[in-house]
Amino acid sequence: MARFIIRRVLVAVPVLLGLSVILFLFLRLLPGGGPAEAILGQHATPQLVAQISAAQGFDRPLYEQYFNYIGRLLQGDFGSSFIDGRQVADTFLIRFPGTLELTMGAMIFAVGLGIPLGRLAARHPNSWIDGVVTLISLFGISIPVFVLGYSLAFIFGVQLHWLPTFGQIDPRLDIPPVTHFAIIDAILAGHWYVIDAVSHLILPSIALGSIPLAVFTRITRASVIDVSNEDYVRTARAKGLTERRVNSRHIMRNAWLPVTTVIGLETGALLAGAVLTETVFTWNGVGSWVVTSIQNHDYIVVQSLVLIFAVIFMTVNLIVDVGYAFLNPRIRYS
Amino acid sequence: MPLLSVQDLVVQFRTHDGTVHAVNGVSFDLDEGETLGLVGESGCGKSVTNLAVMRLLPQPAGHIEGGRVLFQEEDLIRLDESEMRDIRGKDIAMIFQDPMTSLNPVLTIEEQMVETIRAHKRVSKKEARARTLELLQTVGIPQPETRLRDFPHQFSGGMRQRVMIAMALALQPKLLIADEPTTALDVTIQAQVLDLLQRLAAEFGTAVILITHDLGVVAGMTKRINVMYAGYVVESATTGDLFARPRHPYTVGLLHSMPRLDAQPGEPLIPIEGTPPDLRQAPKGCPFAPRCAWRVDACWTTMPTLDPIDETAQIVTTGPKATHRIACWNPATAEEGIHAHPNRPGFTPAPPPAEAVS
Amino acid sequence: MTSSTAVVIAPTARASRGLWHDALRRLLRNGPAIIGLIFIAIFVVGAILAPYISPYDPTIGVLSQSRQGPNMTHLMGTDLQGRDELSRILYGARISLTVGVTAVFFGLIGGTIVGSIAGAAGGVVDGVLMRIIDVLLAVPGILLAIGIVAWLGHGEIQIMLAVGVSYSPMFARLLRGSLLALRESDYVLAARSMGASPLRILLRHMLPNALTPLIVQATLAAATAIIDVAGLGFLGLGPGDPRIAEWGEMLTDSSRFLQSAPYLILFPGAAIVISAVGFNLLGDGLREALDPRLKR
Repeated sequence: MARFIIRRVLVAVPVLLGLSVILFLFLRLLPGGGPAEAILGQHATPQLVAQISAAQGFDRPLYEQYFNYIGRLLQGDFGSSFIDGRQVADTFLIRFPGTLELTMGAMIFAVGLGIPLGRLAARHPNSWIDGVVTLISLFGISIPVFVLGYSLAFIFGVQLHWLPTFGQIDPRLDIPPVTHFAIIDAILAGHWYVIDAVSHLILPSIALGSIPLAVFTRITRASVIDVSNEDYVRTARAKGLTERRVNSRHIMRNAWLPVTTVIGLETGALLAGAVLTETVFTWNGVGSWVVTSIQNHDYIVVQSLVLIFAVIFMTVNLIVDVGYAFLNPRIRYS
Repeated sequence: MPLLSVQDLVVQFRTHDGTVHAVNGVSFDLDEGETLGLVGESGCGKSVTNLAVMRLLPQPAGHIEGGRVLFQEEDLIRLDESEMRDIRGKDIAMIFQDPMTSLNPVLTIEEQMVETIRAHKRVSKKEARARTLELLQTVGIPQPETRLRDFPHQFSGGMRQRVMIAMALALQPKLLIADEPTTALDVTIQAQVLDLLQRLAAEFGTAVILITHDLGVVAGMTKRINVMYAGYVVESATTGDLFARPRHPYTVGLLHSMPRLDAQPGEPLIPIEGTPPDLRQAPKGCPFAPRCAWRVDACWTTMPTLDPIDETAQIVTTGPKATHRIACWNPATAEEGIHAHPNRPGFTPAPPPAEAVS
Repeated sequence: MTSSTAVVIAPTARASRGLWHDALRRLLRNGPAIIGLIFIAIFVVGAILAPYISPYDPTIGVLSQSRQGPNMTHLMGTDLQGRDELSRILYGARISLTVGVTAVFFGLIGGTIVGSIAGAAGGVVDGVLMRIIDVLLAVPGILLAIGIVAWLGHGEIQIMLAVGVSYSPMFARLLRGSLLALRESDYVLAARSMGASPLRILLRHMLPNALTPLIVQATLAAATAIIDVAGLGFLGLGPGDPRIAEWGEMLTDSSRFLQSAPYLILFPGAAIVISAVGFNLLGDGLREALDPRLKR
């Protein structure tokens, strides 16, 4: 088991290195001249360009730049924003909790609703229940996150005034940002504030989680149906076990396996989708930061953020793979 | 009273392509402690019959259309699901063909066996575990204490089947249904597993229905054999009688299509021409007629009933004195049975009625 | 028994006339797939005929008529600049169709080439190519396309490349997997034992079987591509020319009017959804039609 983990980590290293090279080159090979010109955009003047190039080391040979780049990365220095001058790492720690809350909210929604729906559809295949679930699944993957986001905002925010559509918390509640997790900060500030934080989380989580919801529903349904037709389920019934036992110990225990593999992939979809969702709901997370940085030509930030996203994604996948190996005895003991 | 009495069982499957007539009126009896062989090719209905007895037909397609299944004088078809569950595993147990896919891959052997025991008896986990160890030892698993926590994929094929047997016999059921238990195993292992089955059945007094397409398997193990074709029982006899004096043309064909060690050199293997019928058609007449060299006109129109060869004989359905019965209008004589073709002057097989020919 | 005694009574069964024919027949019997085809047809016809059936020029707006709700003169209303929404939706279909479908095409070609080489060559070549694919896959989803567009700049070709590249790993893996499995499969073995040349094996035996999951995946990818292209437009990374009607950009432009002019968000949104639903239904239908072993 330990060997499995070590092997997976070792494989990940060259991939990350390759990615760092590509991102490194990304910054240096931007169209429109050198990196300094691209960052400055319209504000480029020869003096500023020279200044930036010297400060960032763009004038040094490429391999030297790369070594410095890797060196700084390993020390936790991801560069600084050209717009506000702050360290990427600092701003990241402030903004990431918001994205994390959003992705977790979306995952809870997708798993909490998707798996039961999938099981339900599998228990009544080809019935109207199955049809409805399939329809939900179809729309889940066909409605873009931003379209769904606006639709939800319109129905529940504008028309019904049930839920807020802007930001993470009501700015009028003066909640001191301690951890930058809206929910935790709200709890720390005062008991009932957490309700406000949670209510802000609902619509974005649903919008973001709609695609994973559709995927989990489909996979769960297919998996449960497949497993239900397996011989060992027949054996379990032949032994006279109750239907409940057959379901939980024999069907679901095996049906879980393909679903867990998908969880890792869908986390990636959530990270990417966060970019869109945060824009729609004006969420102050890392996703919207990527967008504004691109719009502002703040390419050093973009470079670092993409790398960080990749690291997070790969870590999650590694954890999921290990989890899967743990759940599936055929891999655990082979 | 026989332990099990299947009477006129009819089973059908509803599929997209139409209704499949899998079992068309099967009847047989089984005494306590008796071993019955159910023989036939794939699709003849032998497995379906027994799944119906256990009420384990695939839902929603499978459906028992008629008949009775009397087990200890109770009609199993009339029982509700929870009563049936009570019987499954405890009074009637079943083992299946492929032990790799028939065992849950994510549960240990211990878990799977203990759950069987505790589903029917109120015992503690410790007691169930002890019983499991006992059973594993009985079936010949070496060092069972260490193997309890293993998963099915860590056992070899033969060992897995032994585990299945142990699981099936855990509660000492009165009837064990073994559906092709050795088909997926190597020949050498086959013998071991069959031997084990025989030994345990004798020791516990369990009645056994042994389902197989392999005549060699039933020869050593069973006392009586029912031959099935296309959802009917076509011949029923004691094992000795069946091999020595097969009378139904299908049985004759089966016996002659098997390679035998004692055959004369150069003696040809005689396959049965043609293919089994499409079960999606409702049966009309004897289903074997198209392939039968003994057929007469009646064979095309009406299915004969299972009757004793000797018309005057009393019908004994079980035990070593069971009557030799066949369902045939024109059975083979003993001599024709040896030569595998009709031997009567001027006899030609009756041609099909006009509309049956494609 | 001699062969003359056996009489064959064959059940009537419709003769199978080849994989594609059967698949087409199965597809046409699939209700949802037909609906999908209809949706796609609406989308494609609208796109192709946009210059002829649009009531107005999508780039010209009359400011005095800005932000009108749907009415008799403007069936879908007008946007902030007074441009006819219906015409913009129709022209937007052209962008989504060309950019989205071409992107899938790029991804398909790139992925197929890489996947074929990896699957056919094996060994070190396979290993290296797969590592490169892993690098691409390390950046999740649309973020990769976003990054590439950030790098290449605005423009239709750039978007096609960006989205195409983000799909190529999936196709590469699919094809490589198919080829690897097929290389070892029984019927390829049988063909080889009969002396068929490797090329013949590739063309007649392996490719048709490797193609079917690819076709299904490409159709489903078209749905995602339409959404991704709109997503890029939504984030301001669209074709770049503010006069061009692109559904995603139309959404961004109108986002502040969620309260006052919700139809400006409804129509582009509905257009995206209907197109995506169409391709998804067709893709699912193809999957069922092309896999003869699928139990119903």
